[in-house]
Amino acid sequence: MKKISFKLIVGMLAIAALGGCGRRGQAADGGKQVVVGVSLLNLSSEFIVMLNEAMEAKAGELGVKLIVNDAQRSAERQIQQVEGFIAQRVDVIILNPCEVDASSPAVDKALAAGIPIINLNSETKAVPTAFVGSRDEESARIAMEYIAQRLDGRGGVVMMQGFMGQAAQLKRDEGAREVLAKHPGLTLLACQTAEWDRAKAMSLMENWIQSHGAGIKAVFAQNDEMGMGALLALERAKLKDQVVVTSVDAIADALQAVKDGRLDATVFQDARGQGGTAVELAVKIARKEPYEKETFIPFKLVTKDNAGEVR
Amino acid sequence: MTKESGIVATLMKSWGLAIALVAIGVALSFAHPGFLTVPNLLNVARQISINGILAVGVTLVLLTGGVDLSLGSVVALAGVVAAGMAHPGQYPVAVPIALGVAAGALCGATNGLMVTCGRVPSFIATLGMMTAARGLALVVSKGRPVSNLSPEFTRLGGDVGMVPIPAMVLVGIALVTFVVLSKLRLGRYLYAVGGNAEAARASGINVGAIQMFAYTACGALAGVAGVVLAARITTGQPNAGVGYELDAIAAVVIGGTSLSGGVGTVGGTILGALLVGVINNGLDLMNVSSYYQAIVKGVIIVGAVWLDRNRGKS
Repeated sequence: MKKISFKLIVGMLAIAALGGCGRRGQAADGGKQVVVGVSLLNLSSEFIVMLNEAMEAKAGELGVKLIVNDAQRSAERQIQQVEGFIAQRVDVIILNPCEVDASSPAVDKALAAGIPIINLNSETKAVPTAFVGSRDEESARIAMEYIAQRLDGRGGVVMMQGFMGQAAQLKRDEGAREVLAKHPGLTLLACQTAEWDRAKAMSLMENWIQSHGAGIKAVFAQNDEMGMGALLALERAKLKDQVVVTSVDAIADALQAVKDGRLDATVFQDARGQGGTAVELAVKIARKEPYEKETFIPFKLVTKDNAGEVR
Repeated sequence: MTKESGIVATLMKSWGLAIALVAIGVALSFAHPGFLTVPNLLNVARQISINGILAVGVTLVLLTGGVDLSLGSVVALAGVVAAGMAHPGQYPVAVPIALGVAAGALCGATNGLMVTCGRVPSFIATLGMMTAARGLALVVSKGRPVSNLSPEFTRLGGDVGMVPIPAMVLVGIALVTFVVLSKLRLGRYLYAVGGNAEAARASGINVGAIQMFAYTACGALAGVAGVVLAARITTGQPNAGVGYELDAIAAVVIGGTSLSGGVGTVGGTILGALLVGVINNGLDLMNVSSYYQAIVKGVIIVGAVWLDRNRGKS
């Protein structure tokens, strides 16, 4: 009871301080600027770059200081970065995890050091202070449902998987297979990894055109890069008009292709929503204000009809 | 060993690989009816082009006893540099091509300088370049794919009639390199430097200059591969080409080039690249699970080299 009332007082003080210095969190009159350490999965991936830009924008707006580190897909590097943040005594850590299991120690260490940690975009096994992201299964479900609808529930489908064993691959697999199971008329002709890579996806699609030919009525690629690769291979083989191609992420290239009527659909994952919400949440937690423990930003199907509205 | 039996052994070596290739081809054509068709074989040619171009380049470096680990990153850098200049109506198509290749050559020359003047072991020098060139590619592209390329540029990744242009580029490069290695003094010097650098130096060969040539040519070819890749996938991707150097080195070593220098041929390298490409294609056609594909590839790479080496001994 004592503790709670103490928290309440601190919270009220924080709110009072906030009121005292206007909209901006950066208090000129002695209030402390919120410092947030961010460890990102990989800054050479376009989606993560967008996530980062959204966070920087929101941080600028709220007067938050961000320290951004790039883990370059290495969970081990990510843990080191979080250890660094702990040593610097940042107020809050935002973790964009590399791996479900291997990045878990980063969460545990932050919590043990008493620093709140927010998982952004994907999960870890360890439970963080809060989570902001989207349900990856849902994106694949939306894309595959679109295929089912376009094919009237029957026809041959091929699926391009991401890097095997990564959380996004496993979940998108799960979502896609759920929908396939609901539509017995849809047959999964082939399923291979193209490792999120456009060039690899193009070669894989060329090979599939050889082995399955006109049997392929739809392609589901677990990200847009691979979707674009499949699209290029189909276009070069002059088969695109017979095949529905959908993928996930809504990167700039894919959106353009949807607008041009080349790619049938992509699924929009809201980087701005996720990044912005994470920074807002970090500020709330730092100021001991009430916050949502889990925030799920919904996915949206993007077809030619609504491609102009996205972003 | 007399000179003649040496030649026989060399022939045996490259024939051994050719026989393995034919055997795998025959097996695949029984396993899948789609394998032995003209469109599929053209597919294979198209798909090995990038790796083939890289493999020919790195053959030169391996011949001098060095190694180049920066290839994949240089491919990405050349791709984004070229793509940045290849937007519609921007420059004539020769400009992005030349700049892409030049970016590659510059990376290669830097590698060469580090190895010759800086006396940094090639493994370390090119490892540094692998990281730096990747960073540079991300800087140039601001971390995003460079798209909206002109049709004149992307045509480089397409076909003329039925024949893929990337495959024609590979054949051209392989022929020129073959002539350089087998007919020109420069070629003999490359072998000499890799065989025994001290002896080469004693006989008046400018070892440093030969090494510079090998690294620069290898970089330039990585530049060509980067340009061709960007044209094929119609974007310059800063994160393209990860691990390409290892695929290329695998093809070269399967093709009979020694990792310690002085031994190897372009023909062998092309056969090596073909073998890897045919296996990839065949496993995709048969829809072998991705998990098993990785295992099968690993076994075949080591198996091919093991067979080849033991043939050479006997």
